[in-house]
Parts: sequence; structure tokens; C-alpha cells
Amino acid sequence: MVQINLPKNSKIQKGKYYKDKTGSKNIRKVNVYRWDPSNGENPRIDTYEVDMDNCPSKVLDLLNKIKNEIDPSIAYRRSCAHGVCGSCAMNMDGKNGLACTKSHKEIKGDINIYPLPHLRVQKDLIGDLSTLYKQYESVEPWLKNSKKDETKENLQSIEDRSKLDGLYECIMCACCSTSCPSYWWNGDKYLGPAVLLQAYRWIIDSRDEERKERLKKVADELKLYRCHTIMNCTNACPKGLNPAKAIASIKKMLATS
Amino acid sequence: MKDNNPLSPHIQIYDWHISSLVSICHRITGIINIVIITLICFWVSLLLLGNANYELIQNFFETFLGKFIIIGTTWSFSFQILSEIRHLFWDLGFGFELKISNITGLIVIFGSFILTIFIFIFGQGIFL
Repeated sequence: MVQINLPKNSKIQKGKYYKDKTGSKNIRKVNVYRWDPSNGENPRIDTYEVDMDNCPSKVLDLLNKIKNEIDPSIAYRRSCAHGVCGSCAMNMDGKNGLACTKSHKEIKGDINIYPLPHLRVQKDLIGDLSTLYKQYESVEPWLKNSKKDETKENLQSIEDRSKLDGLYECIMCACCSTSCPSYWWNGDKYLGPAVLLQAYRWIIDSRDEERKERLKKVADELKLYRCHTIMNCTNACPKGLNPAKAIASIKKMLATS
Repeated sequence: MKDNNPLSPHIQIYDWHISSLVSICHRITGIINIVIITLICFWVSLLLLGNANYELIQNFFETFLGKFIIIGTTWSFSFQILSEIRHLFWDLGFGFELKISNITGLIVIFGSFILTIFIFIFGQGIFL
């Protein structure tokens, strides 16, 4: 269901203001979404003044600096810091992306940081992705092959292998799914770009023997056809992949088979 | 997840892209067009009932509001047609690259206005 307004308990309030204590002249304001599960209050936006002279280039560095030097209570996910694990996916400057690969110099004005859109917040910048993971499980993202012989390689031609390019690189950071308005309104039923890209990755794999079953499973008014080619997913993908194209390929396969 | 956890902001904070703008306009113009087509059907049926009805509606179309509705409808149809052509290419599997989809999106937006002007001039009989 389309619900434009946030529910009552999600309305954002004004938060604390952390003034700069270093006396630096190169200062930027960073607005961060905060929600503390322990006190029952509404979410708030805290503003931090950050000394940019002693801050490395990425938004994640900025958050680390805030956590280390200004406010240790701030919570966010991060791990590899090299755009490989997909933990630090968040909404920066109105666009989803990985905090570890997004340079804060690209952002003009104050830096606004929110959790990934339309998720249940667990704390501060951490959203609950369990629905997405369940949907991922539902497409059975593993190779289905009846060959029992484990002494031989499962060969694939160069041409067949190249079909997986632009699909296997997906790190499941959920930037695309949470950028999709269709997924906002029908997230419980529509699979979303991330999961559909993964579904296509197994459908198109020449070694997989259950292409027909996989296609049949995904061919559903709500699961697949809620994609209206809004293209927010492709705009958001921090790895430069094209979920919209993958979804269109599934639709095309269904229409022509 | 428990319901008392807040929902993170979505449409309130998310940036608009060309593609999302064209997409929402495609929907809105689609709904407008259905209403307009229904009204056109009523209009045609009314004409069958005689000359008085024709003049009544003709007079309405001469007013500012009437002209606005006619031009607005022309734009709405122009937008829908161009956007639908874009969707047809997508259905064939072309035009998904970000750059191309941005260009085609801009073509739809500006093209709809150009097409509206073109149809308006054509309706004035300048080309005839």
C-alpha cells in the first residue's frame, strides 16, 4: 500500500547539536538520523560539526571520526571499508550508496545521513533487512545440478560465463531494493531489484538445470511484475550493476518462452 | 520486527531522478487520460442529442478554463505516447544503460511539450 506519510512513531524530531571543539576553520555540518530503542522516544536528527582538515575522504571515515572523537553512542554497520562487504549501505545526500566508497567531497552543503529507506530501524543507521534475506532465500540462490560426479569439473563456455558478468558482482547491500518506490509500497510481496537480480543470476547460469522451475516460480504479478522500470535501482547501485535490466531480461524470457 | 520500531524515512528524503520523475508522470497522465477519454465519449454522445449541446460545449471550450483543459489534455496524451514508446523499447531489452535512460527520459519530458505545441499549431491549420 502506498503510504506517503511516516507513521506517528517515526516522525523525526530535532536532536542535539554538537559544537566543534577543535577550533578548526574548515568545518562541515553532518546531520545524522538517530533512534535509541531503549527510551521510547521518536527518531531525531543530531547535528555534528566536524573538523574536515583531519578527516579522510569517505563518508564512512566521517562517521568513524564522529564515533571516535565526538559521540561514541552512534551505531552503524561497517566491515571491510572497501566496497566489498556491503555492510555500510545507507542513504547519503538523498541517495543510497556505500558509505565507504562515497566521497564526502561530492556532497554539496550539509551532509545528511539516513538509514536505508523504508526499513524498520533497529538503532540509528541500522535497518532491519530480514524480509529481504527471507526473499533471497526464497529464490534458492544455489546451483541445482543433478550431476553426482565430483571428480570432474562443471565446465562452462566463455560465452556462457560472460552472461554472469554484471550479475555475480552483486554484494547484496540492499541499496537498490530500498531505493525502489515499488518495494517501499509492496516490500512484503514484491521481491525487489536485489533479489530479482540474484534470481536472474541463477536463471541464466548454463550449469543450472532448473531454469524452467525458477522462471515459473518468479513469474508472479506481485513478485516480479511490480517492477515499473522506475530505474532508481540502477541509479543507486554502488557497484554499477543494472538490476532494472536483469528484471527486464526475466520478463523478456517469460514472454518469449 | 516489532511494530514499535520506527520506519526509516523514504520518499521524504529520497532524491528525484529523471527516470523516477518520468515514471510517476507516466502514471498520473495515464489516469488523466482515462478520465479524459471517458469525457470525450460523453461529449460525442451529447452531440447526438442536438445543436444546443454542441454550442454549450463549444462555448465552454472558448473560455480560459476550457482552453487550459484542451492544452493540458494534449500534453497529457503527448507525454503518455512518448513515454509508452520508451517503455516499448525497454520491453524489447534496449535502453537500460543509465546514460541512455536519462537521455530518453529528457526526450520524453521536453518532447511532450514540443509535441503539444506542434499539435496546437497543427490544429490552428497553419500547415494546411
